[in-house]
Amino acid sequence: MINNWVRIKSGYGPSVEEIYKDRIGSYAKFYKMDPLSRLGFVASELLLDAEGSRDREWGETRGVVLMNATSSLADDRNYQRTIVGDDAFPSPSLFVYTLPNVVTGEIAIRNRYYGETNFFVLPGADPEQMSKVIEMSFCDDKLQSLLTGWIDCEDEEHYDALMFIANRTVCGRRAELAEEIAALFEKEIKY
Amino acid sequence: MEELILNLKKQIIEVLNLEEIKPEDIDENAPLFGEGLALDSIDALELIVLMEKNYGIKIKDPNEGKEIFKSVRVMAEYIEQHRTK
Amino acid sequence: MTGYGVVSAIGVGKDETLGALKQKRSGLGKIAYLKTAHDEFPVGEVKLSNDEMKAMLGIRGDVPTTRTSLLGMLALREALEDSRLVGDDLRQVAFVSGTTVGGMDKSEQYYLDFLENDDRNAYIATHDCGACTEMIADHFGRFASVTTLSTACSSAANAIIYGARLIKSGEADIVVVGGSECITKFHLNGFNSLMILDRDFCRPFDAGRAGINLGEGAAFLVLENADHARGRGVKPYAQLAGYGNACDAYHQTASSPDGDGAFLAMQKAIAMGGIGAGQVDYVNAHGTGTRDNDSSESAAMRRVFGDAVPPVSSTKAFTGHTTSASGSIECAICLLAMQHRFLPANLNYKGSDGCVVPVTETKENVDLRYVLCNSFGFGGNDTSLLLKNNDIANY
Repeated sequence: MINNWVRIKSGYGPSVEEIYKDRIGSYAKFYKMDPLSRLGFVASELLLDAEGSRDREWGETRGVVLMNATSSLADDRNYQRTIVGDDAFPSPSLFVYTLPNVVTGEIAIRNRYYGETNFFVLPGADPEQMSKVIEMSFCDDKLQSLLTGWIDCEDEEHYDALMFIANRTVCGRRAELAEEIAALFEKEIKY
Repeated sequence: MEELILNLKKQIIEVLNLEEIKPEDIDENAPLFGEGLALDSIDALELIVLMEKNYGIKIKDPNEGKEIFKSVRVMAEYIEQHRTK
Repeated sequence: MTGYGVVSAIGVGKDETLGALKQKRSGLGKIAYLKTAHDEFPVGEVKLSNDEMKAMLGIRGDVPTTRTSLLGMLALREALEDSRLVGDDLRQVAFVSGTTVGGMDKSEQYYLDFLENDDRNAYIATHDCGACTEMIADHFGRFASVTTLSTACSSAANAIIYGARLIKSGEADIVVVGGSECITKFHLNGFNSLMILDRDFCRPFDAGRAGINLGEGAAFLVLENADHARGRGVKPYAQLAGYGNACDAYHQTASSPDGDGAFLAMQKAIAMGGIGAGQVDYVNAHGTGTRDNDSSESAAMRRVFGDAVPPVSSTKAFTGHTTSASGSIECAICLLAMQHRFLPANLNYKGSDGCVVPVTETKENVDLRYVLCNSFGFGGNDTSLLLKNNDIANY
C-alpha cells in the first residue's frame, strides 16, 4: 500500500541541513525552522520528489498527519533558555515552534494543502497505533491522500523520521498497513 | 553610523537566521519588509526583541515597529537617538 | 453525547459554569496562582491551588502530578459521573485528550533541580503531554486505550473528532474526549513575545480588541453510539452531527485574511450534518480577541452564512483563552446553552470595526437546534464542530 517513503535518521548518512543543501535549497524559511520542522520539511520535500506530482493542486484532498513521542522537546529546550533569568528575552520565533503541530502547517503552507492536519504524541513508534491513526484520518470523505508517518526529534543529534504517502487503499486494511510500516522501520534509511 | 549599520546587518542576519545572506547583500536603504528578504510578522517581533536586548529600546506596539523597521538605515538612526545601551 | 464535565476560571463543574454564564460573571482577574513577574496581564485561572485540587480528588500531597492533570481529573470525574460510568466500565472506553503544555508547569518549576540534583527527578516523568493524559486516565481506572494529540489551541476539538471517528469506524462504542491545559510561565512569556496579550480584559470582536487573556481548565465529553447509549439507559444531551478540520495553509501563527481554513472547516461540519447553513442557530466562535483572528473568523463566517450570520459569541472573556482545552470547554458551554435554552453573551463588546456583531447580553428562552463551535490553532489547524440538540431533534 505504501509506494513512496523516506527515512532519515541521525547517525546515518548526511545531516538534515546537508540534505537540504544538496537536494532542496532555495527555501530561506528552512533556516528559521526548529529542528523538528526542518526534519519534517526535508522529509516531505524528498517524499514529494519521489512521488513526482508537484504540479498537481491537491487543495482539500491532501492532509498531513504526523506522530512522535517527544513532541517539540528540541525546540522547548531552546525556547526555555530564553525565558529564564532576570535578563530574559523570550524569543517569539522559538516559541512558535514549541507547538509540535507547526511542522504540519509548514508542509501544508509549502504545498498549499488545505486538507486535515493533525499531530499525535504517542508512547513510541508502534506500527499498530500508527496505522489506526492513519485509517481514522480517512473517515474524512474529502481526504484522498495523506503525508504521514513518524517524525521524532529529541535534539539536533537524535532524530528519526519515517514519512510516507498513504491513500484510501488503507481503509479496512489496518493489519496489513501495520505490517508494511513495521517492515519499513526495519529497512535501511532512504532519502 | 556606518559601523552601526554594519553591526546591525550582522545582528539581523543572526537573529532572523538569514543563513544564505551576507551583510553586503542587504541594501541599508531598501525596505526591510515586503520584498527581498521575505520577512514576516514573526521576524518583526524578533527585531523588537533585538532592539531591547542589544540597545535597551523598548517597543510596546508592533505597529510602532513598522515605522522603525522601514530600512536598516532608518533602524540605525532610531537606535542612535534612543539607545540606552 | 451522554455526559460531560468542565472546569475553568468560571467554575468547577457544570452548575457553577452555568451560573456564571447566565449572570455574565467573568473569571478573569489578576494572576494569583502562577508565580510570575508578569502580573500586568489578566488571566482566567481556576481558583484552586494544586494542593486544594489534590484534596478534592483524594490524592496524597506528595504524589507527583501536574496542574494540567489535576484540572483534567476534576473534569473527567464529573463527565464519568454524569454518564454513569464506573470502574470496570472504563475497560470498554477509549480516552482521547489534547494538550500542548502538558507537564511544563512542573518542568519550569524544577528545571534547575533536574540539572543540579536528584530532588525532583520524579517530575521528569510527568513532563510529557502523553504522561499527563495517562495520569488523568489512571486516576479512574483502566481505559481500553489512551491517546494524546497536540495541535495547539484546537487540540481538544480534534480529540473530539478523533473519538467520534473511533465510534464511526466501529473501533469503539464509547469514548471520552476533550482536553486539559494549565497556565504556565512558558506560554505566558511566549504569547507575550508575540505581543498578543491584552493588558485589559479581552474584547472579542470589538473594534478596540488588543489580544487575548490566557485561561486554563479542562473539559471532557462522553460520546457513544446511539444503540450503546440506549442499551445503558442513558439519555443523550446532544448529538455530534458534524465536524470538519482544514488547514489554513497561510502562516505559522497568523490567520489568512479571508479565513480559508476556518471557512472550509465550518463548511465541512455543516455539510456532514446534512443541513443548510441557515439552520445553524448559534456559533460559539473561536473569538480570541486578537486583531487577526477575529477579523479572519468574521470573514469566514460571512462566506459560510452570507448576510444571515446567526447569533455569534465568543465566551473567552469569561474563561480566558484556555488554549488546548478551549475546544472541549466551549463545547461544554454549547451543551449548557442548548440544555438550558440561552445564548451566552460576548462580554466587553462596545462596537464594530467590520467584524461580525456578537450577542452582548445573555438571551434566555431560545431554542437552539444546531450549534457550531469553532476552535482554531497555530499551524493553521482549524476545526469546527456541529452539535444537534436531541430534545428538539425532529423540528
